[in-house]
Amino acid sequence: MSVRVIVRTFSELCITAGTVIVLFVVYVLFWTGVRADREMGDQIDDLHDQWAQGTAAAPSPGASTTATPAPYRSGRPFAVMYIPRLGFTWNKPVLEGTATGTLKKGLGHYAGSARLGQTGNFSVAGHRRTYGDPFKDFPQIRRGDAVVLTDGTTWFTYRVDKGPYKTVPSDVEVIDAVPRKSGYTRPGRYLTLTTCDPEWGHSHRLIVWAHLDSTQPVEAGEPKALRR
Amino acid sequence: MYGWIWRHLPGNAWVKALISIMLVVAVVYALFQYVFPWAEPLLPFNDVTVDNQ
Repeated sequence: MSVRVIVRTFSELCITAGTVIVLFVVYVLFWTGVRADREMGDQIDDLHDQWAQGTAAAPSPGASTTATPAPYRSGRPFAVMYIPRLGFTWNKPVLEGTATGTLKKGLGHYAGSARLGQTGNFSVAGHRRTYGDPFKDFPQIRRGDAVVLTDGTTWFTYRVDKGPYKTVPSDVEVIDAVPRKSGYTRPGRYLTLTTCDPEWGHSHRLIVWAHLDSTQPVEAGEPKALRR
Repeated sequence: MYGWIWRHLPGNAWVKALISIMLVVAVVYALFQYVFPWAEPLLPFNDVTVDNQ
């Protein structure tokens, strides 16, 4: 085999590898977002369908609208979150669990943390970048901002007390029932949001803490925080 | 490599070009559908929880 053939084959392999890398960057930056946006839209539509069926669907295991609530099912959506600070149209489904596959479809509720609106710490994780960039503008969240959630029967309005607080990935205390560094001293109805920091890295985590400010039934219309 | 593939495709130049395009599309599809979803979790963008799950 001549040197020419070897050099040419090597060059072709290099060009091929370069092309594959460029395609991978396109996939990570763009395609995951396209897929995730579609997926999150589907999840929210599913929830609205479920809620529209109302109590008629209560005996089915998927319904989260019963008076004695069924446990959240792993990987399934059960609520929609709105954060006006991240955009007036910003709304994402909240799914049970923080598995990699679950976080591709929306925000993930830490299994084992409190239920929505209950005493304890309702903790939610979300992607900062890739898969729709749900928490891209996380550092802009300020004290007093509203975090609104609905489970189909009730609107829950949480108010941010502290954040964004930067910590290390092993700091599991931030999702404790009474998170130590949040400034809370007694048990209450809290909410914790977590995402990664820096934007494209994984060396740290950003945390936001909030407390339950008010609740109202969905029949009463959207809470004030969502109107403009 | 690509020269070898080109020579082994059947038909005239047009048919070869058509088959080549189809091959490229098939490879890109396989990458986006199977290879990249497998490779992407190996990057750090998925680490958004505090318990290293």
